[in-house]
Amino acid sequence: MKLEVEGLTVYFPYESIYPEQVEYMRELKRALDAGGHVLLEMPTGTGKTAALLSLIVSYSIHKNFKFKLLYCTRTVHEMEKTLAELRLLASHLPTPTSLLALGLSSRKNLCVNPHVLSAQSRDSVDAACRRLTASWVRSLAHDNPQVPTCPFFESYDRAASAGPDALLLPPGVYTLGDLRSFGRSKGWCPYFLARQMIRYANVVVYSYQYLLDPKVATIISKEMQKECVVVFDEAHNIDNVCIEALSVSIRKQTLEARLKATDAGRLRAEYNRLVDGLAQRGNLAITDAWLGNPALPDDILKEAVPGNIRRAEHFLSVLRRLVQYLKSRLLTEKVETENPVNFCAAINSQAGIDQKMLKFCYDRLHSLMLTLEITNTDEFMHIQTVCDFATLVSTYARGFSIIIEPYDERMPTIPDPVLQLSCHDASLAIKPVFDRFQSVIITSGTLSPIDLYPRLLNFSPVISRSFTMSLTRDCICPMVLTRGSDQLPVSTKFDMRSDPGVVRNYGRLLLEMVAAVPDGIVCFFVSYSYMDGIVNSWNEMGILQFSHASIENSTFPMVMLQLATKDVMQHKLVFIETQDVVETTLALDNYRKACDCGRGAVFFSVARGKVAEGIDFDRHYGRLVIMFGVPFQYTLSRILLARLQYLRETFQIKEGDFLTFDALRQAAQCVGRVIRSKADYGMMIFADKRYSRHDKRSKLPGWILSHLHDAHLNLSTDMALHIAREFLRRMAQPYDKTGCGSKKTLLSEEDVMKMSEGAMDTY
Amino acid sequence: MYGAGVAFQPTSSARGSSKEKKRRDEDEEEEEDDNEGKGTDAWERAYADERSWEDLQEDESGLLRPIDTKTLVHAQYRKRLLLRSSTGGSVASRIQKGLIRYLYIVIDLSRAASETDYRPSRMAVVAKQAEAFIREFFDQNPLSHVGLVTMKDGLAHRLTEIGGSPEAQIKALMGKLECCGEASLQNALELVHGYLSQIPSYGHREVLILSSALTTCDPGDAMETVQRCKRAKIRCSVIGLSAEVFICKHLCEETGGTYTVALNESHFKELLLEHAPPPPAIAEYAAANLIKMGFPQRGAEGVVSICSCHKEAKVGGGYTCPRCKVRVCELPTECRTCGLTLVSSPHLARSYHHLFPVAPFDEVSPHGRPGQRLPTTCFGCQQSFVGQGGAQPSLRTSCPKCNQFFCIDCDIYIHESLHNCPGCESQRNSSV
Repeated sequence: MKLEVEGLTVYFPYESIYPEQVEYMRELKRALDAGGHVLLEMPTGTGKTAALLSLIVSYSIHKNFKFKLLYCTRTVHEMEKTLAELRLLASHLPTPTSLLALGLSSRKNLCVNPHVLSAQSRDSVDAACRRLTASWVRSLAHDNPQVPTCPFFESYDRAASAGPDALLLPPGVYTLGDLRSFGRSKGWCPYFLARQMIRYANVVVYSYQYLLDPKVATIISKEMQKECVVVFDEAHNIDNVCIEALSVSIRKQTLEARLKATDAGRLRAEYNRLVDGLAQRGNLAITDAWLGNPALPDDILKEAVPGNIRRAEHFLSVLRRLVQYLKSRLLTEKVETENPVNFCAAINSQAGIDQKMLKFCYDRLHSLMLTLEITNTDEFMHIQTVCDFATLVSTYARGFSIIIEPYDERMPTIPDPVLQLSCHDASLAIKPVFDRFQSVIITSGTLSPIDLYPRLLNFSPVISRSFTMSLTRDCICPMVLTRGSDQLPVSTKFDMRSDPGVVRNYGRLLLEMVAAVPDGIVCFFVSYSYMDGIVNSWNEMGILQFSHASIENSTFPMVMLQLATKDVMQHKLVFIETQDVVETTLALDNYRKACDCGRGAVFFSVARGKVAEGIDFDRHYGRLVIMFGVPFQYTLSRILLARLQYLRETFQIKEGDFLTFDALRQAAQCVGRVIRSKADYGMMIFADKRYSRHDKRSKLPGWILSHLHDAHLNLSTDMALHIAREFLRRMAQPYDKTGCGSKKTLLSEEDVMKMSEGAMDTY
Repeated sequence: MYGAGVAFQPTSSARGSSKEKKRRDEDEEEEEDDNEGKGTDAWERAYADERSWEDLQEDESGLLRPIDTKTLVHAQYRKRLLLRSSTGGSVASRIQKGLIRYLYIVIDLSRAASETDYRPSRMAVVAKQAEAFIREFFDQNPLSHVGLVTMKDGLAHRLTEIGGSPEAQIKALMGKLECCGEASLQNALELVHGYLSQIPSYGHREVLILSSALTTCDPGDAMETVQRCKRAKIRCSVIGLSAEVFICKHLCEETGGTYTVALNESHFKELLLEHAPPPPAIAEYAAANLIKMGFPQRGAEGVVSICSCHKEAKVGGGYTCPRCKVRVCELPTECRTCGLTLVSSPHLARSYHHLFPVAPFDEVSPHGRPGQRLPTTCFGCQQSFVGQGGAQPSLRTSCPKCNQFFCIDCDIYIHESLHNCPGCESQRNSSV
């Protein structure tokens, strides 16, 4: 359908549209007109992506494709979903439009060369590719046909040099799979083709890292012009992504592995007498340009490499001294926290390396490796880490701290020294993005409280708004459970979590719910260790009862717990998320199967885990999600403490506020997994007495809060059960999807017309 | 006790009315409270839901009287009627319906059936309503057959063979009411599939599952069984008692049945009775079949003969098979000796109306359109539409074909029992 949004014709790929999508588009349009940054929260399942894409693409058609859309997603899966949506949209555009949209991912996802693909990890695929496509390898192969090269790259290169680049890829929407099959059919390398084509594409869908991680961003996104519109989808964790992009941690293994690598490098350095180590930058072939400089300020990039590390052997000795120094720091017995300025000063005095040399470590290593024609870059991971560290630590005086921990806090007996350079300021990594591009759109299902994000990321949005979902029926049912069936409070507060009463009440809750809720239930726990503990004790109590059935029968709590574990299995199968990805995937598969075939299943998972972030439990895969406790971060962690301190000093954000915000956004993220569309329904139980307090509750996103009735705020297990039963019965009734009268939730083209006319009248 | 209230009535009428007004206000306030965020605790709501006090109402004299449920019933009836005619296709284009149905009712007697959210227990409610359903079913589908299957302990068990007598089925059901173990949808479907694949091709195969359990404990892949049922053209319908289960929904969608979940006992009854009228025939069955049937004569009084169903001598009554002259006690049935289907003509006639339903009547506003004079009496019962003493005129409806007006009671009678419109019929007579 076509609709008018404030004078702009928007092509929308569906026959009908939700009212909040129209609203969303309107805000977006205003923001694009104003040319500023936007923060928009809209619940999942309301067609955020569709609204976003159709508005921006329509807008760019309106402007004759003067700007690109850079769409950043977190996972490859989301990338594919977005591209599929885009393809649908493209088929609804007016015919003469030539839209080119493509996804860009790592070599691992795009490569079609079977030899390269046989490598396991991402880094080794990269290295294998370089081994075949680096410019010196190719020039060698030119003289000596025995040297293996990549046939796909060769034919791509021939095609690229033959004609104008823009004609390589006909207009259309290309997912990663399409690119691969296109590459196979033409015999061209899809990765380099995609890299080349993003220059001409109207829409590019790629991962956050391509914009946020400075190492990658400089290569990939350098050429994007200022008029680009950047979208960060599912961006509720964007501050953490920013911080991770600039944090480095060095372990003992890192340093040791590094030494060997340097030795090898030095041998080859001597071997190659030609090496004089001057700047190699400039006219490098596209394949050689790998990780860019992590230093952000332009003045450093323009500065010349200082003279005392220009020679390779000098540089190597500097590196060796640095490693020696870091090693000596790692020998410490107690936890140390230092700021970068002091750290640099200490290096200067003890290892004799001044700040300027440190700054250029990364560049220098880069050019050295190019000179040495090293293609197996994966073996040089560690040395790169150290150089990253050196450059970062010397570049930033603020917003970072260095923390040296001799052992893991939770296992003090095992020495595992680690030196962490942790970034506290999320705005550092995202600042260049905000500065460079005209409009940056940050959007997600959960961005509450919405006023905190501008402070964390240090920007001023022209529009920040939270939308609610228009529903024909109350299809979500959040509840706050504060008491067990014995009316005692439940909580995962530190002093209460191991209390057998709390454990029992949680067990009882689960048991009641598995009997009353059909198909899938998802349980989120605050941490792996807590999950292990509580599942163990549920299980243990059950086993106790099992073996001593006759003796212990009289003790009340035992009977309860026996019910908890034995009966859970009677109603549903139990699956548990582990830290092993393969195991978890298997568990998820079986969980889905159990839900499909009617056996029913419970999935135990961890907030902040992989499952909580990326897996949907929509429809019957998740009729209920129970959040056991408030998922606070591990508050004794040094990094967190340092970050909290920094936030308080720099942005005046109170520790408590930030912690609660972070915990609640995780909780909202967890429970949001069950609703992925409007036709869906699901219940959410927040099982902790702390959720009923206003300061916690008010930080939940609006679309949850609006369904959280006062009567559901302080429930005990039996009351929750009653509500759950009622809710499930109500939801199983047939309903009218479009809604009726004033509560229309599905608008056709005429409805939208009428609405905009109505809006005109009121003005 | 209430008699005293009448004695005081003349003096207190004024006071009474003001009191009533106040009461009404209070009621409204109460309702507002309830609407506002359901401010009551869950345990309170359990009582509030039943609202037993609202069934009582005071009349002018202060006497308690049950609330006027008539209008409510009428509204519900109209809704149902319209729904049925809209889902069953428009009346004008007559659709084929399967009149000869072979229905297995699967009753879930797993552990979940002992839960007490229905009073006294789910199992008891299911049994009670199933009994009513079986009677209603045979009343509406005299040519059809019913069998009972139970699910318990992870197994499915055939309680009764498929047959045409309601009494035998009900008796068997009532004798077997105890629940334990798991329910197994797959086992039940496999069992029913085995039995239903033997029935003659003109019969419509149906399964109605009354499911209490929310899980099914299956030996294999239930999805395959669903596909087998689909291939065997068995129409599976499920009525759940507590919540929507994916596999049941999938089953119903695949096999063309309906899936509903009951809110409470009365809703359950309603849902169950929706299965009594025959469903539209599956397209593949649309080919017409000729079926051989016998119309036995009723035995003369005082004749002694040996009955084939009970194997004993009986005096008088009974029917004689036209082909092999054997005596049977009840119709419809299949002859024990020659296997002929034995029916009586009223049976056929009763089934017949499903094919030619009376069109739903249009509602007419009590005051009519301006310039149109409405008859003041119902065409059916000749009673005046205008209530005694100038009360609010009652709702009336008109037949879209003959444009006669009927009162709502006659409307119900015509649609539910008579299945003929008196207006249309009399017109036809006069024209002949």
